[in-house]
Amino acid sequence: MVARAAETRARATEFPERSGACFVKTLVEMSDIRKAFAGTAALKGVSIALQSGSVHALMGENGAGKSTLMKILAGVHQPDSGAILLDGRQVAFHRPKDALEAGISTVFQELSLLPNLTIAENMFLGREPTTAFGGVDHRRMRREAGKALAELGLTLDPGTLVSMLSIAERQFVEIAHGIMTDASVFILDEPTAALNAADVEVLNRHIRRLKDEGKAVVYISHRMDEIFAICDTVTVLKDGELVGTRSLAEMTPAALIAMMVGRELADLFPQRGDAPGPAMLSVEDFRITERSKPFSLELRRGEIVALAGLEGQGQQRFMRSLVGQYHPFAGRVAIKGKSLPLPVSPGGGVRRLQAMGVGFVPEDRKEDGLFLGLSVAHNIAAALHSKRSELALAAGYQRQIADTMSSLAVKASGPGAAVGTLSGGNQQKVLLGRYLAADIDILLVEEPTRGVDIGAKSEIYRLLRDFAKKGGAVLVLSRETVELIGLCDRICVVHNDTIVKQMPAADATEHNILDAALGANGEASGAGGERR
Amino acid sequence: MTAISRRLTGARGSRQGMWMLPLLIALAVALWLSLETAQFLNGENLLNLVPQAMPLVITAVGQMFVILLGGLDLSVGSMISFTTAVLALGGPAWVLIPAVFALAALVGFSNGFIITRFNVHPIIATLSTQYILLGITRVLRPVSGGTVPDIVISAVAGSFLGVPMPVFWGIFILAVAWKLLYGSRFGLHLFAIGGGVSSGVEDAAHNFGIADRRNIVLAYVICSCFAALAGVFLAGRIVSGDPNVGLLFELDAITAVAIGGTQLSGGIGSLHGTVIGALVMALLANGMNLTNVSPFIQTTIKGAILLLVVALQSRKKMGL
Repeated sequence: MVARAAETRARATEFPERSGACFVKTLVEMSDIRKAFAGTAALKGVSIALQSGSVHALMGENGAGKSTLMKILAGVHQPDSGAILLDGRQVAFHRPKDALEAGISTVFQELSLLPNLTIAENMFLGREPTTAFGGVDHRRMRREAGKALAELGLTLDPGTLVSMLSIAERQFVEIAHGIMTDASVFILDEPTAALNAADVEVLNRHIRRLKDEGKAVVYISHRMDEIFAICDTVTVLKDGELVGTRSLAEMTPAALIAMMVGRELADLFPQRGDAPGPAMLSVEDFRITERSKPFSLELRRGEIVALAGLEGQGQQRFMRSLVGQYHPFAGRVAIKGKSLPLPVSPGGGVRRLQAMGVGFVPEDRKEDGLFLGLSVAHNIAAALHSKRSELALAAGYQRQIADTMSSLAVKASGPGAAVGTLSGGNQQKVLLGRYLAADIDILLVEEPTRGVDIGAKSEIYRLLRDFAKKGGAVLVLSRETVELIGLCDRICVVHNDTIVKQMPAADATEHNILDAALGANGEASGAGGERR
Repeated sequence: MTAISRRLTGARGSRQGMWMLPLLIALAVALWLSLETAQFLNGENLLNLVPQAMPLVITAVGQMFVILLGGLDLSVGSMISFTTAVLALGGPAWVLIPAVFALAALVGFSNGFIITRFNVHPIIATLSTQYILLGITRVLRPVSGGTVPDIVISAVAGSFLGVPMPVFWGIFILAVAWKLLYGSRFGLHLFAIGGGVSSGVEDAAHNFGIADRRNIVLAYVICSCFAALAGVFLAGRIVSGDPNVGLLFELDAITAVAIGGTQLSGGIGSLHGTVIGALVMALLANGMNLTNVSPFIQTTIKGAILLLVVALQSRKKMGL
């Protein structure tokens, strides 16, 4: 410990760069980090250095790898290759506790406190002090936890159960946890996603305090105003690669957005369709939550419409409220002129919609979409079977299955192959094939190409376009803006649970979609009060 | 419905679970019995109540440890029968008594090991153990018989300094359980593991650096040892080995724990609640005997109670 302190001093004098009152030194250096999940590369050699006394923003589109990078630093994931240097020394974190002990404290989007323990118990869990009789020293835990809370200016009783706290308070407790463990690096992953404007202000005050104390803070957020208000440096990631690190003093919001976009449209996409026909799905005065602004949307024959926007802005909730997985606040939905009463029942929603000619392709094909252990044939025939009475003898559907497999070019050893053994792209084709085989004319698709390689992506785009050309209509939700621009006819940008902008895809650019999705034009800067 | 269930089991602000309500129920049942039948308030009946309730109290307290971390042990009934059968094998007490606890620890260890290492669902793992033990018990003692060591009999039926022995049993069991649950890191970690399981983040406690597997195994060992203790007590009362004495005891124990406000999904519950729950069950059994309810119908009523209590819990994870 003494040696480490001495070394720290030595390093500090070695680099006598001054910022305000304290020395700036590199606390953490992550170099050439690579990580793949199930064969899909999430990080392709990213390097980042965190300085003391500075708030470092991490930006990028959804799926750019921000959260993965920070989860590696927090010990949740282990990198496939690359090094993490802490105070110049290489470290390896096998579990979150290792990172915490090394002084890296994380506040994740999904909170990691245990709801049935008190604040003090959560703060000390895994390293509780004991009394002479071997019991847990609750008094000492409360005293020290109370001290850490008081340092943040919080008046919470450390004996309160975490389940009684608001989300903001839980985040503050996690920060207090970090302070108590004397962490030097704080990672805040979209901390303001669930906070109201007043709590954001309090959080910002805490962040500035940490900064003044010489801690390094990593701040992941999609909100431009916040980034410019409290961050010093920004690192932009795109598709798991490092775009660059800049000082925010020399950046403007427009320049930052340009950094986040900057990619050519790949030549992956099929020709767009002709003029669309009559309305297939019309949504009017739809309000996802009580507080969100109403919006309307029309999906017409032969058209592919995209729901774009940053993650968790309500696009998925809207899609899922059509199939009964979410209860929207209000709205009118008509499918091919027939009105669909809301809320759709969660039990019979998908089935009923199928009878009306609507297919729903969920985002997570492995969990929600496919029966991985069953054959390709069974998976394709599932929607066909569901149209028949439960007690009817099962039909073979061999012809439909064979037709679907050949028209979709599913690569499998045969209709009997288990879907789980196929590649991601072929699994996705089977899932789409299920609805193409049944007489579906409206497809609601979430993430059509998640975890799918580039070749299969192109085929899936072609399939969806062919489907639309034959008189179908598709509503697509995707995190990949490029995909939406290339594939769709019209793009609806969702922000704060409502559609803020509709634009023809031919005129859309990643830049203006991101612009609208960040709410950068007017509406969002005033969105502070709208936050839930 | 959810409002009712929250009031019954809801633990906002406390992880003790709702134990006040069962206490009221216990008092109400006692009041009903004393009005309904003359025999209830009879001194002999009241004196009998404690030794009658004791095996269930012991088993339920053991079961509570496992339920708190989101598990379940169905093998305790067989463990009780098995213990009486081993004690009635004949032999010196100083061999038999340590032997039953060593065997119980082994069974508990194997339950916990199978659940944590092979990822077998607790219900399936302990159901298998229940049958394995039942078979062995029937081999050892196909019908009830044999005699248990004298010291076991006097430890249950005798008295010390004029106080009946079951009172000492009660104090001992509660002291041990209290120390384990509230006076050790193990107890806190049980709540932490259960809290993670019931809030859907199985690894939450593990991520805090808690040795979750070891703690889970230990909880199953404790549960089995408490069941063996209940078996020793019962053997002292019936003075012989009986392959059927523990039949359906696991159900009574789980019901008692659930009545006491412990969430079957884990993480919420209390020792005193469990004791109260076991007393409610014992009072009900006593009352049904006094009012001549058929033992077959009694089983049905107990099953219905378990169903009712669990249906009112805001369950999450185990699908129970």
